Amino acid sequence: MQWLRSLFQRRQIYSDLAEEIQQHLAEKVEALIAEGMSRKDAEYAAKREFGNIARIEESGHEPWMWPRAESLLADIRFALRILLRDAGFTTVAILALALGIGVNTSAFTAYKAIVARSLDARDPGSMVDIALTRHAGDFDPEFSYPDYKVYRDNLHSFSGVIAQRMERLTLTQAGGIQRQLRSSGGTQFLKFLLPHPNVGGAEFATTFIVSENYFSVLGVAAVRGRTFEGGDGKELAASPSVLISENYWQRRFAGDPSILGKVVRLNGAAFTIIGITPHDFVGTSVITPDFWVPLNLLPLVHPNDNGLRDRENQCCRLYARLAPGVSIRQAQAEMTVLADHLRTLHDPHSELSKPATVRLWPGSPFGRTMDSGLKFAIVLIMVAVGMVLAIACANVASLQLARAASRQNELCLRLSLGATRRRLVRQLLTESALLGLIAGIVALLFTWALLKVSVTMAAQAIPAEYGSLVLHVTPDIEIFAHVFAISLIAGILFGLAPALESSRMALSSAANNSTGSSPGRSRRLRHSLIAVQVAASLVLMISGSMLIRSSRHALITETGYDNKHIVDLDIQFPGSTNYTAQRRLALVRELRNRLAALPGISSISAGRPPDGQGIRVAAVSINRDKPSAHNTKGFLYYTYVQPNYLQTLGIPLLFGRTFQTEAGQPESSVILSESAAQQLWPGQNPIGRTLRLNTDEQFHGKNELLPDGVAYQVIGVARDTRGVELDGSDSRQVYIPMPEDRIQDYPLLFRTSADPAQSITAIGAILSSLDPDLVVGAATLDELLHQTPAFLVPGLAASIASVIGLIGLLLASMGIFGTVSYIVVLRTREVGIRMALGAKKRDILGLILRESTQPVLVGLLVGIALAVGASYLLRGVLYGLNTVDAVSFVGVSLLFLAIALLAAYVPSRRAMRIDPMVALRYE
Amino acid sequence: MTPAPKTDQRDLFRGALEMMILQSLRRHPMHGYALVQHIKQRSNELLQVEEGSLYPALQRMLKDNLVKAQWETSASNRRVRTYRITPAGIKHLEREVSSFEQMLKGIHLVLAPAES
Repeated sequence: MQWLRSLFQRRQIYSDLAEEIQQHLAEKVEALIAEGMSRKDAEYAAKREFGNIARIEESGHEPWMWPRAESLLADIRFALRILLRDAGFTTVAILALALGIGVNTSAFTAYKAIVARSLDARDPGSMVDIALTRHAGDFDPEFSYPDYKVYRDNLHSFSGVIAQRMERLTLTQAGGIQRQLRSSGGTQFLKFLLPHPNVGGAEFATTFIVSENYFSVLGVAAVRGRTFEGGDGKELAASPSVLISENYWQRRFAGDPSILGKVVRLNGAAFTIIGITPHDFVGTSVITPDFWVPLNLLPLVHPNDNGLRDRENQCCRLYARLAPGVSIRQAQAEMTVLADHLRTLHDPHSELSKPATVRLWPGSPFGRTMDSGLKFAIVLIMVAVGMVLAIACANVASLQLARAASRQNELCLRLSLGATRRRLVRQLLTESALLGLIAGIVALLFTWALLKVSVTMAAQAIPAEYGSLVLHVTPDIEIFAHVFAISLIAGILFGLAPALESSRMALSSAANNSTGSSPGRSRRLRHSLIAVQVAASLVLMISGSMLIRSSRHALITETGYDNKHIVDLDIQFPGSTNYTAQRRLALVRELRNRLAALPGISSISAGRPPDGQGIRVAAVSINRDKPSAHNTKGFLYYTYVQPNYLQTLGIPLLFGRTFQTEAGQPESSVILSESAAQQLWPGQNPIGRTLRLNTDEQFHGKNELLPDGVAYQVIGVARDTRGVELDGSDSRQVYIPMPEDRIQDYPLLFRTSADPAQSITAIGAILSSLDPDLVVGAATLDELLHQTPAFLVPGLAASIASVIGLIGLLLASMGIFGTVSYIVVLRTREVGIRMALGAKKRDILGLILRESTQPVLVGLLVGIALAVGASYLLRGVLYGLNTVDAVSFVGVSLLFLAIALLAAYVPSRRAMRIDPMVALRYE
Repeated sequence: MTPAPKTDQRDLFRGALEMMILQSLRRHPMHGYALVQHIKQRSNELLQVEEGSLYPALQRMLKDNLVKAQWETSASNRRVRTYRITPAGIKHLEREVSSFEQMLKGIHLVLAPAES
């Protein structure tokens, strides 16, 4: 408060001085005029005689500001000297704080760069994302093209509405050398995230299909050539054009200067390249695509689809730029009215005809509703890094406290020499703040390096076919401010308690002059700091180890099928009209015949693999009526399979019989998985019973096989397989036989006794001779399994948690070790006296160990209680672990206790080896 | 004898200016402009100082509580800041004057043999 008052006083003083000088000049001017000078001359002369006004004012200020600056400088100089004297303490404290701050800043930066990023546009603040919410509160971010056109042309709240979808198209006739078609190098760490590169000769191009006004609304121009201009749809249709990204131009065409005007074929249709988009321009996404195709040319790449005319076909995500002065709320209201009108144009049976509310939110490449698991993981990480910082601060605070105890003599001396208590606190605070500041600078460097390494790793891990991920993680000024604030607050935070404590201590000990034994209050504070560290690190470590164990569990869990020797072939046909259903079927049959001739391949089937994409759900009834609200026996997952599917995948049939393998129309019978049978007919024999499925309310693709309207008879029960859902619910499967003439719609699965990698190579040769335009993804079921959320989520969470947990462990060990050894050193005299009085070494050791481990035990108890809570929250992402994982709990607790005992043991041994006489000499 | 460093010269001058200000104020409280005119007249215009250099000196003395200042209205109906000497200022002046005289005496003693 004092400095605030003197600040205001000083202002008054300065303004008094300024006024006084002006009065002086005025008086002088008057006097000179009275002597007969003109006003102009008089003013000039007065100023000349007075001297340099600014300089004089400045030197008039000087007497008022010197002492403050001087004493601050002295404080800093002194603090630096003290910190240098205790180099060990300083290093540990700075490292601990830097780790804590660095981890926090990295998390913050990564969050900003990945999750909280805005759209890549000019003035991104006025961009919004658009979605609808329907009855269940689900966000529906996709719109059909006819609906999009209505919104684009009729809303006044927006200055522009744009649409975007992403596709992977086949690229042919691009010429040139195919550079880096397959991902080369990369790190093993993230590689498992992505599907196996395609086999065969065709190239993929990641393409963004965007509305023609996309670039003009985002406010981005081409670096060469031009973008699509809004409104020249007819012209575009007449001469199909495409934009190429700068990144792909460099990577694929080596920056070929004659790229403009070149013709490329995407899904077989010819497009002329008319422009190059800026380097790293990602638009409404987070990756740079290879090409940008105008939305109204979508029929060229999907000739079979009716995509643009079908009001039910949700093709695109929408974004808009708010008109000047319009709020999100106003725009939302206007658009909701229009959406309400539009829904009447939809098929009355469609989900799209139900009432909906428009939701807008500030432009972001991500949906409003982040996957709840992901959101949870983010919160988890934020909590974890917060705890790391807490541990770091507790660590440094307890070190400071211990050190303050050993500095009592110094503080005493300064007090008796007349230093005020305030002065001492200020000095100690300066030390802490300086420490925090240095740590902040170290942390900044640490953060920068950490982010650089992880982004490089992430970028390398993504194969070029997927476009290039663009992340801006260079710490900017805002993030620097963040680090700075954290480090300063941390510095003052942990500096405050010891500062007050030690000045109080110094006062009391100055009075009775007894040094050496720390007062009870400060010991309690020190003990509680140790307990906090132990508890926080315990929670981190237990959570981390549970995540690690869970992901290991996910790895080794029995899948229920043979995942090592089965290869999944996912065939994508070019979207051209030439590829009719008959032609595709013929191609798949031919492929199957040639596969059968390969050595080692024993069985070929078709169907979705248990760990593949595209799971389907249906409501089930068992009373021969169509499933409805009244008779639904719950929901089951269904999958169409070829009759030999179970044998090919090695899924054992528990009882009943398998499908008949003769060709022709399949029987209307199904095989249930064990848990599905258990759900429908608990404790009864399901064989011979009948069930019906209904998919009305459920997601399914266009023109795909649907099981509605058929009464299926259960002929067998197969063992459960592990699926892709985290909660394991998709183990409840209904296997439905697939007509042989629909196999072209499903992946081919084959069992090979040879090395799967060799088979895949052999298939590459077959494909290029069969039809070089086919794009086939090939992977063993084991590889697919590694891409399922059940594997990925705990895997990623585990790697992050273990890194954070390890840092926490390191910090806590450092803190416990440092503090305990300090305390023991302080008790050297006590040890000496006890030894001189004849105490046994064992007794003293026991005493010290007991007292030192006491706070650790308290911390362990608190930590275990908190960790039980944490693991309760974690159960959503844990695969196959009980809520309370005994191994993690016991293991980590024992580890901590061992560290604490070691930390207490080593210094006490050292203390006891001291000659009692040396210890007594302190008296 | 090497010439004294420049800063000492300024310090000496500062001390002298202070003494003159305090001495003037001891007789009569006055504001800055009047003070300048007074010192100029008293020194028979021998001291050619910048008029402004008075103000930093006054600020220093305010800070050290040798003088105090107050806004007043002068006889010519002008708003002026009048300075008065404080008891501490009187004490300081007396000490300064006596030590200055001591110094002058010393200088005189040192210089005298060189003259003879």
